[in-house]
Amino acid sequence: MPVPTLTYPLLATLAAVLMPFLAFLLTAATGKKARNGAVSIAAISISLLAAAYVFAHVWGKDPIHVQWHWFSIGRQAFHVGLLVNNASALMLLLVCLVALPVHVYSTAYMKGDPGIHRYWAYLSLFCFAMLGLAVAGNLLLMYICWELVGFASYLLIGFWFTRDAAIQANKKAFIINRIGDLGFLLGIAILYSGFGTLDIQVLFGTDTPAVSGTGNLTPGWFTAAGLAFFLGAMAKSAQFPLHVWLPDAMEGPTSVSSLIHAATMVAAGVFLLARVFPLFDGTVLFVIAVTGTVTAFAAACFALTQYDIKKILAFSTISQLGFMMAGIGFGMYHVALFHLTTHAFFKCLLFLCAGAVIHEMQHVKQKLGHDFDPQDIRNMGGLRKHMPITCATMSIAALALVGFPLTGGYLSKDALLVHGFEWAATQHGMALAVPCALAVASMLTGFYSFRLLAKVFFAQPAAGPLTGSHATLHDAPLPMRIPMLFLAACSLFPLFTFHPLNDGHVWLLRGLAPDATLPPLRLLHFAIPILATIASVIIATVTWRWYVLGKYPLKPQGALYRLSLHQGYLDALYMRAIIPPLMRLSAVLFWLDRHVVDGFVNGLAAGGRALASAAAWADYRVVDGLVRMTGKLALGLGNALRRSQTGRVQHYLALAFFLMVVMLLYFIFARA
Amino acid sequence: MITITHFLVVGAWLFSIGLYAVLARRNAILVLVGIELMINAAILNLVAFGRYDSSLYGGQAFALFAIVLAAAAVAVALAIILNVYKHHKTVNPEDISDLKD
Repeated sequence: MPVPTLTYPLLATLAAVLMPFLAFLLTAATGKKARNGAVSIAAISISLLAAAYVFAHVWGKDPIHVQWHWFSIGRQAFHVGLLVNNASALMLLLVCLVALPVHVYSTAYMKGDPGIHRYWAYLSLFCFAMLGLAVAGNLLLMYICWELVGFASYLLIGFWFTRDAAIQANKKAFIINRIGDLGFLLGIAILYSGFGTLDIQVLFGTDTPAVSGTGNLTPGWFTAAGLAFFLGAMAKSAQFPLHVWLPDAMEGPTSVSSLIHAATMVAAGVFLLARVFPLFDGTVLFVIAVTGTVTAFAAACFALTQYDIKKILAFSTISQLGFMMAGIGFGMYHVALFHLTTHAFFKCLLFLCAGAVIHEMQHVKQKLGHDFDPQDIRNMGGLRKHMPITCATMSIAALALVGFPLTGGYLSKDALLVHGFEWAATQHGMALAVPCALAVASMLTGFYSFRLLAKVFFAQPAAGPLTGSHATLHDAPLPMRIPMLFLAACSLFPLFTFHPLNDGHVWLLRGLAPDATLPPLRLLHFAIPILATIASVIIATVTWRWYVLGKYPLKPQGALYRLSLHQGYLDALYMRAIIPPLMRLSAVLFWLDRHVVDGFVNGLAAGGRALASAAAWADYRVVDGLVRMTGKLALGLGNALRRSQTGRVQHYLALAFFLMVVMLLYFIFARA
Repeated sequence: MITITHFLVVGAWLFSIGLYAVLARRNAILVLVGIELMINAAILNLVAFGRYDSSLYGGQAFALFAIVLAAAAVAVALAIILNVYKHHKTVNPEDISDLKD
C-alpha cells in the first residue's frame, strides 16, 4: 500500500487529534507545577482551529480517507487510518467547540484544587481519546479510542479519589462500560470474520458498502453484529437498563460532568451507531428505537423527583440520549446527530451553570460553616437576583432542552418527534406507542426543567442556609461567565438555520441526510411543533404555580413518587438480583481456582520436586559415592603403603631378605 | 672326618650371625662388620665347594677375588660411614631416615 501523501487537511486532522495528547504528555511530565492549564488550553485551541479548517474542507465534499500499514498477523494486514467524512468533521469540531469553553471554565472552577495538575492531564487525555474516536478510520483504532475514552472518564469521575462515593462511582462506570466494550468487540469480531476488513470506509462508507453484500455471514449474524454494536453504544451512551453509571458519575467535578455529558463519552455511542448505520437491519433498528424510547421515558420520569441539581441534569442527559437512540432506530441518524449537536451545547451550558450555582453554594457553606448539601435544590431559591447572568444562560439552556421555539433544541427535538410519527406510520400495530411515549417524555422534560429553574432561581428560598446570607452571593467570575455566554449563543437557532421555526433548512441535516428517508407527513411538520410548544407553555405555567407561587398539590409519599425518586429501584434490583449471584459465582470460581487448578499445578510441582530430590539423592549417594569411593580407596592404599617407607636402611634390607627367602622357598617347593 | 656339610653349617652360622648384625645393630660400623661376616660365609662356601674342582681351583680363585673385593668394599663403606657421620653427627641407622618419602 502506498504511503498517503500528506495534504493540509490531513495534517490539520492529525494536529487536531494529537495536540491534546501532546498536552497530556507535557502536563504529565511537568507534574505538580502544571497548575494553570495553559498547555491544555493552548492545545485545545489549536485543535479547535485545525478542526474548523478540516470542517471547512470536508463538509459537503469528499471525505479524507487515508491508512497506513500497522501490523500483520499471518497474511492479514491491519491498518491504522483516518476517515473524516461529514459526521466525523462535525464531531471533531463539536468536541473542540465544547471542550474549549469547558477548559476555560475549569481555570476558575477548579482553582486551588490540590490535584489540579492531574485534572489538566486527564482532561487532555479525554479530549484526545474522543477526537481520535471521531476520526478513526478503522474499527480497531476506534475501539482503542473507545477504551481510552472509558479509561479517561474513569480517571475523571474518580478525580476526587479520597471520597468513597467517587471511587464507587468510577468503578461502576468502568464496569458497566466494560459490558458495552464486550459488545463492541463482539461486533468487530463478527464483521471481521464476515468481511475480512475493519476499514470503516470499505465496510460502511461508500455508495455500495461491504455490509450491503452478505460476506460470509447469514442474516442472523448481521442481526447479532448489529445488536452487539448496540450493546456497546448502550453502555457508553447510558441506555436503559445500563444507564445506572451515569447519575453516579456526577461525583466527578462539574466541569467534567459537562464534558462527559455534552459532546464526549455519552455521545460516543450515538456516534458509533451513526458510523456503522448501514449494518443495521430492521430488527436491530426496532430494538434500538424501543430501547431509546424506554430510556427517554424512564429517565424523564426519574428526573421528576430528584433533589440533586446534577442528578436532574444527569437523568435529563439519559433521556435526551434516549431520544437520539430512538432517532437512530427510526433510521434518521442525521436527525440523531443533529440532536446530539444541539444537545451538546445546551447540556454543556446547563452543567456549567449548575457548576456556577454549586460553586456559590459551596462558598456560602464555607463562609457560614453550615453543614448542608450545596447541590440540593431544596436549599436554593431566589438566586435570580444574585446571579442574573447564570439565571439567564441557564434559562436559555433549559428552554433549549425543553424544545422552545427559537432554540436549537426546538429544531432537533421536534424533528425527532416528527420522524418518530412518520416512522410509526410505516410500521404497524403497536409502533405508534413509541413516538407517543417520546412525546410524553418530551413533556416530562419540560416539567423537570422548569421545576429546576423555578426551585433554583425563581422560588422564594426555603428556610435554609440562603435566608439572610444573600449578600455573599454573586455571579460567577469572568472565566466561567464567558464560556457560559458563548454556549448560550450556540444554543440558539442562528447557528443552525435562519428559519427559526422550520427544521427543513438546517444546513447540518442537509449535510448528513441519508439516501433513504421516511415518507414525509406534511401535516405533522406543522402540528407537532405547535402542539409541543403549547404543551410546554402549559407545563411552564403549571410549574410556576406549583413551585414559585407555592401551590404544590401533591403529597411526596405516593408509590409512584418514591419509584421515581429511587430511580425505579434499579440499583437496588442490581444489588439484589445480579451482584450477589455474580459474587457467588466468582467465589465458586475462586474456590475452583484455588483448589482444583492451583491444586493440580501444586501437585505437579510437588511431584517434580519429589522426583528431583530422588535424583539428587541418587546423584549424591550413588554417582558421587562411586567417585569418592575410588578416591578414598586410593588414599587408604597409599596411606597403608606409606608406612613401609620408613627411610631406614635396615628395614629395607630386612624386607629384601624376607622377599628373597620367599622366592627361594617358592623356587624350591614349586620345582619339587 | 670333616665333610662338606660341616663347612656348610659353619657357613650358614656365619651368614646368620652377619645377617643379624646387619639387621639389628645400632652402629653402622658393626653393620659393616656383619656384612663382612656374610661375605666370609659366602667365601667359605666357595672354598668348600672348590674341593670338587681339583683341576682348575675355580672356587679358590673366586675366593681370592672375593676377599679383595670385600676389602675394597669395606674401604668404600667406611668412607660412606664417615661422610654420614659428618652430615648427621651419628652412625646409628635408626636415626637416619632421609630415604623416607
